[in-house]
Amino acid sequence: MKKVLTLNDVCLTYHTLQGETDALSHLNLEVEEGEFVGIVGPSGCGKTTILSLIAGILSPSSGSILLEGGDTNSLKCGYMLQKDHLLDWRTIYKNILLGLEIQGRISNDSLDYVADLLNKYGLKEFRNSYPHQLSGGMRQRVALIRTLALKPSILLLDEPFSALDYVTRLSVCDDVHRIIKQEKKTAILVTHDISEAISLCDRVVVLSHRPATVKYIHHILIEGEPLVRRKSPDFAITFDKIWKELDIKL
Amino acid sequence: MKYSLEHEKYLNNIRKKKIWIIISQWGVLIVLLLSWELMALTGVIDAFIFSSPSRIISTLFTLWTDSNLLLHVGVTLYETVAGFLIATAVGTLVAIGLWWCENLRRIFEPYLVILNSLPKVALGPIIIIWAGAGTKAIITMAVLICIIITTINMLNGFVEVDKDKILLMKTLGANKLQVLTKLILPANVGTLLATLKINVGLSWVGSIMGEYLVSKAGLGYLIVYGGQIFKLDLVMASTVVLCLLAGLMYYLVALLEKKLNKK
Repeated sequence: MKKVLTLNDVCLTYHTLQGETDALSHLNLEVEEGEFVGIVGPSGCGKTTILSLIAGILSPSSGSILLEGGDTNSLKCGYMLQKDHLLDWRTIYKNILLGLEIQGRISNDSLDYVADLLNKYGLKEFRNSYPHQLSGGMRQRVALIRTLALKPSILLLDEPFSALDYVTRLSVCDDVHRIIKQEKKTAILVTHDISEAISLCDRVVVLSHRPATVKYIHHILIEGEPLVRRKSPDFAITFDKIWKELDIKL
Repeated sequence: MKYSLEHEKYLNNIRKKKIWIIISQWGVLIVLLLSWELMALTGVIDAFIFSSPSRIISTLFTLWTDSNLLLHVGVTLYETVAGFLIATAVGTLVAIGLWWCENLRRIFEPYLVILNSLPKVALGPIIIIWAGAGTKAIITMAVLICIIITTINMLNGFVEVDKDKILLMKTLGANKLQVLTKLILPANVGTLLATLKINVGLSWVGSIMGEYLVSKAGLGYLIVYGGQIFKLDLVMASTVVLCLLAGLMYYLVALLEKKLNKK
């Protein structure tokens, strides 16, 4: 398998007026093409920081990050945040085109690709609706399609379901998993929800307390859709292992 | 569409309430005018000092036929609208500049605060000397009164745009100009409309204050003149016209808001 992303001995120190904080220490991680990798860790351990580094929004204090053999670049990454952040004044279609418009990549090819995505994922009838007319789950799907429209080489998901209520969350989780697998995208998911990580990912990386480093990597052998996986007996066992590794104390 | 009896009843109740409110709104005005007129007629109040609705109406007629009411309305309207438009445009541009450069914003913050709390009328004599005694001075006064609050309001709106939305724009590869035109400005159409509504009131304050200080024509001029020669009918009549014009201008802004919200 081709390696898409390599994090090599990455360290990061934060500087604030209150002082300096070691956020990441000697972090190593490799992600292969088409893989779905989950990152879990105690809260405040720097999970989101890792995504910002991969997207090139932050630079590491030391170590290197290689994305498809080259430098990191936010244009190669598709970022999905907690909230969908659809722009209220744009129609669904215009929202999906936002990234292409900004990058000046509106062309017949890219518009065809978007039309194809809209068709495949049932958004065609909503293309002229406004975001407030859609349910939370649908909005999150639009946010994912907006990201996919740019054909990113890697998807970065920063707790993309945490703003949804629990029941919606389970179905959106299924939805996102299906779309990402169907489009054969590589994805990294950051979450504090252990069961979400197990049900979505091929591998789950457990981080230590701050300064974060890789504590353990689980290969998830359970196959299938997220909701199917939750029924497997292995699910509970893996959940328990990860929970103990997280070492959460109140 | 056919509704159930219960729903019809519910709709009816709401309709009734609405009609009742409108009747009451007019009722307040009519009762006020009638009792004013009655008290003036019966001598409870001195009509020479308090004027009366009928005297106001006849004054308006003489103003129309003898002393060119339209000219006075035109002059004040011109000063007010010019002040309103200049202040909104320039104030918004300044806000964009301050949003663009954070250092500039931090440097000018205390100046904005002081200018905002300063009563702009105090600058009257300076304005008259610098801009000349005339329409220019009055427009300058209207602009000064509106511009600071416009800048502060718009800047607040710009700064309050969700940081995560800006992050999203950056991950999509947006430069600063694109963040401004595709996110910050469209996100603040509501702020602009709210500012316009404030400026309607403030620009009238500016133009009338300006006319009090220096003018040869205009509604503010008529009010001051009426006060000086103790013709309260003239003062009241000019005030009524002022009320109507200010209301009309507010209504136009509200109309604009409705149109934009529909979109």
